[in-house]
Amino acid sequence: MLCTLLLLAHPSSTTLAPQGDLDLFRAEVAPILEAHCLACHGEDTRKGGVAFTDNERPEGLVEAGHPEASLLMELVSGPEPQMPMKAPPLSEAEVASLRRWIEAGAPWSPGVIGAEGGDKAWWSLQPVTEPSLPELPEAWRGWVRKPVDAFILATLLEAGLTPSREANRRTLLRRLHLDLVGLPPTPEDMQRFLYDPSPQAYELEVERLLASPRYGERWARHWLDVVHYADTHGYDKDKPRRHAWPYRDWVIDALNEDLSWSRFIEAQLAGDVLPDAPPSAVAATGMLAAGPWDFVGHVELREGTVDKQKTRNLDRDDVVKNVFGAFQSLTVHCARCHDHKFDPISQADYYNAQAVFAGVERADREYDADPEIGARREALGGERTSLAAALASAEEALARRIAEDPSPEFSGLREEREALAASVEAPDRSGSMGYHSALEASADHEKWVRVDLGAPHPIDRVTVYPCDEVFGDHDGAGFGLPAAFTVRLGTDDTWETLGTWRASDAPGRHGNRPITLEVAAAPEAHADVTDRPLARFVEVRVPRLWKRTDQHCFALAELEVWSDGENVAAGAEVTAADTIEAGARWGRRMLVDGAFPWSPAMARLDDAERRWHAAAARLEAAAEREARARRTARLADVDAALAALPARSRVYAPTASFNAQGAFTPPPGGAPRPIHRLERGDVTQPAEPSAPGAVAAVGHAPASFAGAGDMADEGQRRLALARWIAHPENPLTWRSAVNRAWHLHFGRGLVGTPNDFGRMGERPSHPELLDFLAARFRDGGGSLKNLHRELVNSATYRQDSTHRPDAAAVDSGNRLLWRANRRRLEAEALRDAVLSVSGELDLTQGGPGFELFRFEDDHSPRYLYAEADPDAPGTQRRSVYRFVVRSAPDPWMSAFDCADPSNSTPVRSDTTTPQQALALLNDRFMLAQARHLAWRVETELAGMDSVRRAAWLVWQRPPTQGEHALLTAHADTHGLTALCRVLLNSNEFIYVD
Amino acid sequence: MWTEPGASGAPAARLNRRELLWRAGGGLGGIALAQLLGREQALAHSPTLAARPHAQRVVQLFMSGAASQCDMFDHKPLLIERHGEPWNPGEEVELFQSAPGQVMASPWKWTQHGECGRWMSGLVPRLAECVDDIAFIHSMTSRSNVHGPATFLESTGFLNPGFPSMGSWISYGLGSENDDLPTFVCLPDDRGLPPGGPKNWGAGFLPAQHQATVIRPGAKEPIPNLFPPQGAGLEGARDAADRDLINELNRRHLEGRAGDSRLEARIRAYELAARLQVAGPEVLDLSGEPASVREAYGVDDPATASFGRRCLIARRLLERGVRFVQVWSGADNGFPRRNWDSHEDLERDHGAMGRSMDGPAAALIQDLKRLGLLDDTIVHWTTEFGRMPCSQGSLGRDHNPFGFTNWLAGGGIRGGVTYGATDEWSWKAVDRPTTNYDVHATILHALGIDHTKLVVRTDGIDRRLTDVHGEVLHELLA
Repeated sequence: MLCTLLLLAHPSSTTLAPQGDLDLFRAEVAPILEAHCLACHGEDTRKGGVAFTDNERPEGLVEAGHPEASLLMELVSGPEPQMPMKAPPLSEAEVASLRRWIEAGAPWSPGVIGAEGGDKAWWSLQPVTEPSLPELPEAWRGWVRKPVDAFILATLLEAGLTPSREANRRTLLRRLHLDLVGLPPTPEDMQRFLYDPSPQAYELEVERLLASPRYGERWARHWLDVVHYADTHGYDKDKPRRHAWPYRDWVIDALNEDLSWSRFIEAQLAGDVLPDAPPSAVAATGMLAAGPWDFVGHVELREGTVDKQKTRNLDRDDVVKNVFGAFQSLTVHCARCHDHKFDPISQADYYNAQAVFAGVERADREYDADPEIGARREALGGERTSLAAALASAEEALARRIAEDPSPEFSGLREEREALAASVEAPDRSGSMGYHSALEASADHEKWVRVDLGAPHPIDRVTVYPCDEVFGDHDGAGFGLPAAFTVRLGTDDTWETLGTWRASDAPGRHGNRPITLEVAAAPEAHADVTDRPLARFVEVRVPRLWKRTDQHCFALAELEVWSDGENVAAGAEVTAADTIEAGARWGRRMLVDGAFPWSPAMARLDDAERRWHAAAARLEAAAEREARARRTARLADVDAALAALPARSRVYAPTASFNAQGAFTPPPGGAPRPIHRLERGDVTQPAEPSAPGAVAAVGHAPASFAGAGDMADEGQRRLALARWIAHPENPLTWRSAVNRAWHLHFGRGLVGTPNDFGRMGERPSHPELLDFLAARFRDGGGSLKNLHRELVNSATYRQDSTHRPDAAAVDSGNRLLWRANRRRLEAEALRDAVLSVSGELDLTQGGPGFELFRFEDDHSPRYLYAEADPDAPGTQRRSVYRFVVRSAPDPWMSAFDCADPSNSTPVRSDTTTPQQALALLNDRFMLAQARHLAWRVETELAGMDSVRRAAWLVWQRPPTQGEHALLTAHADTHGLTALCRVLLNSNEFIYVD
Repeated sequence: MWTEPGASGAPAARLNRRELLWRAGGGLGGIALAQLLGREQALAHSPTLAARPHAQRVVQLFMSGAASQCDMFDHKPLLIERHGEPWNPGEEVELFQSAPGQVMASPWKWTQHGECGRWMSGLVPRLAECVDDIAFIHSMTSRSNVHGPATFLESTGFLNPGFPSMGSWISYGLGSENDDLPTFVCLPDDRGLPPGGPKNWGAGFLPAQHQATVIRPGAKEPIPNLFPPQGAGLEGARDAADRDLINELNRRHLEGRAGDSRLEARIRAYELAARLQVAGPEVLDLSGEPASVREAYGVDDPATASFGRRCLIARRLLERGVRFVQVWSGADNGFPRRNWDSHEDLERDHGAMGRSMDGPAAALIQDLKRLGLLDDTIVHWTTEFGRMPCSQGSLGRDHNPFGFTNWLAGGGIRGGVTYGATDEWSWKAVDRPTTNYDVHATILHALGIDHTKLVVRTDGIDRRLTDVHGEVLHELLA
């Protein structure tokens, strides 16, 4: 049969066709061929020698006017179509278009397929221009409330459909609240709205909700789905990320403040280097670190192994995929192993995008959220550096003078010191060393260690013993003792300072010499117990840390607290800001175990040292001494001022400098790692080097960032990408953003695949509307809140959700929006709604996530959900503040299709399962809330009986007479708690009309 | 979040199964509903079937921590001959933790078994009785030398988390064979979860009902939320009355809301939940099993009780029509060792793991055979990678992703055969090296599914269990 067809077929480039049929070719057939055929049968590919080119269709495929005799139809239709090969079959509608086209003589016109620009002709890469509003029949113009309605209505009328009537007020208010703030309206909200006589009641409600902080909490959750945010690393050994949440809070704040979309983009990609951004914008870059991170691959795998390179390659892949999926709706990650098979994205483009992020790793990053404090910290730090330098140079000058001084006093002391030094034996460093804090990248950290004496004691004096440890270039004595510390005495409710010690006050002391702070001596007559401070807690606090080679810490060998001749600290309970517990040598309990490195020989040496320093001081001129004293005092003030500043915030974010952890180290020398295109995506097959850039085919601005700043500076790389994406002429950015908003308000995007505007994605159902919204959004300053106003105030949005068989017969999927879509509450909204009606919802905003599990730290951390208390304080907050574990999802939340943060979730699935029924019926959380709701309706006086009140709270309407009887009978027999359990399982609560 | 009502609107009548599968990337609701509302038309009846299915269901025995091929199945006389000599395979060796030590023979003796005359070590004497039913694949290789990613690779076909596990794909592709129990059940080790945890039996981007239902037979609440907690005052009549009222309210709510089958589906979901309340405890109750069966699985012997009980429950699930049961031997990589990751002392740690696994796994094969279920049930024994032929320290073995063993039995798999081989050391696969992709493709093929056609589009890519790889190992099929 094939042979026959080949004989009959003829080229059709010369066919003259009526304009209408050519329109069919242009509008329907060409897009089908481009989407499904050209990847293999294009000008360049020509698989099997078959190609659809600019000038003609391939020979032999089509028998003009006779679809039933055309090979093309045979190939693409039937129960088991042969084409497209290894890809989804054409839809019925697409097959029907081809059939009509062949019936019409299969006209072909040059300049359509593979026209100039080729791939660039794809719809989503066209510049965004604002189309004019469609013309509407006079009779329908009154229906239009907002421009979007004109587009929707025009399409409906064209399809022979009409819109549905406006939903009733109760439905509208419930829909609006759950959509904009994610919580049901209260009965009081409902009463107010139902009887509000203002014609603007609805619009005013929209404004009220958009101004509520609950709005940001609701819509941040949608964005966190897209960027796959979570509070743990994922993979094996799924460690908690204790500082991921500032990013989540930043998103909430940004939405509440209605940050412009371009700023929203720039901050998340480069908030740390954006010239005019506040310091808090560092937290925005948490987006780049939001995805999973392979702890074993980064921390445990050795440098130089192939698996290490794979780990880093996949790590950057996650970042690139996140950025381009979220902001550009592009699937660039499909080009990791080969050029993108369907979209114009080359492998070179992809690795250029990886190069943008080659200078950073993901780690905790410090920043000052408050710009004033940041500036102050910087000024004090600068002053400190210059003071310390001046003191050091004075010290050096003095040392030179001593060395040159001929007097016998110095030579005698010198000999005595040398002899004593030789006699001192190094302390035993194999056993108990003492307390050691965690390590920090900078000295600017306040830390403390504290003993609990169990009961208040009158305190005479406190003695502190430094450690002795050889580490790096430090040769032993005074290990871990910072330049100053303060001892504080505490009772159960007050703290007072016993005193502050500064190294600068005790020149020449031996590094191990114990330091004693006495309670100020009182006159003998009053040496009474009551005059001495009573303390249960004794604390040593340091404003800055001691430098340990390239890191900073605080360590102490021993702490003694003397009361009536007894060391009451011996064996006491020790707590600390943080601690390193390392076997037999370091641990907080070793602070009070009686082991410290101080001996009589050291004491004699210490004495000689001090006499030497006293003698040396006499060589100093008065002015020098004064200057030194002034600087020393000022240094102490500066240290105190630094210590008084609030601690810096931390966010888990991309950074080029951080504390090494095992084999996880910053890029060497702070320079971006070299990136190469990898043949077949294989790290052992590097090809040519890559340079920071983006996708060439997008075309609005140079894809190479070579001219966009100093590309040796990794921050400039990210900034260049941020500007490339936030560019007003970028065709994808604005369409992508408005499509996400549309999807969330209407239940389906104008493009049904919000992360994919390429050939494997869906085409827009209303292309002009999409462009209209994108252009308005971009040109109006990128205000998301204005976009919400445009959408939720529309007549389209306000439609009833009732099914209409006549309309369903034409458009069963409601793609054209002839009614509103009913929706089930998503996991978070459902949980929040339950808490809201039970009266338990805690509206505390921000901060570390609450945990719905018991955490067990181990080789592999465990998150035990079954062991959590459903009534634990702090866990009744909104679900957006939940601590999200990647490896172990919350079983209740995931039963309701909660997003899996392993990957981006642009569209949540909506399943209905028996497991959901069991989770709502029997989960301890639900039963606890049923109890709380029962208690609430029993005790809250609302001028109605408990059953009526319960229905109002859960359904925001009164029960009908029949329902009231039914519900009351149930409550009378089985109790109010049982009734509340039932109501919380009702479809009316879980679905939004 | 919102759903497309048309997608949930009982499309089964208009669309064939294949179209449903293609569409699923956009509107997953349709499949969810079809599966919820009664037994689905199985793919086996669809014209797109790859092959006549031999198998209907699968039980996967997953050895977490990397079980050693050269201490159980892959016999190499050279290791015995050169035991204790410095190991020099003649090329550079990159190990996960250590530098190569000495050649290390297995602490267990090797003997020949069955009509096929296969060599098996003394660590697996009971499995040695089954060798004529088993097809061994000795040339397995892994793309990762790290537990987490390698475990994902074996369970989901991808190195990174978030992809549907094999059980989820099979649940999605074939639907349910029963009305009372879930389609996919996971039985984790009593001591904890393997690296990556629930992501190894998650549904990824497939609808939530394709994730495994986790059953912990030893736990206070073996199936979470199956019943109200004790002391909640919801026993018996009150619970039943509550459900009746929920049903009544949901039916009233449905009136006037025609055309949205999700609402009806939710009413059905409560009925199915009630069935699970009966079927769940019944399937976990082993008291009716004959003493001989209990003994074969080692249910009452502390050394084998945990894995044995779960293997026996697996058989009970399979005979009641559960499609895919995943049974884990081994938890995470913590200390003291509670999985197969025997870096320190192989004889001690593999000794305990081997004893706990051998009898129950053999009993499962023999029991399925006795009941006539082995003909259409595949038993798949797997692990994330193998172990080195040389020592780590003096008593342990490091990771070996270059060559390890999987085995298959039942469901149309030929017994008594061997596929591929490692080199003389049991280090690298040299004869027909193969991968998880090929094994997954083979299992799907035996179930009647063409692994290249069971796809779902997500984030621009048509995803499938076998990524862009996979060749059916036809030699293993009867």
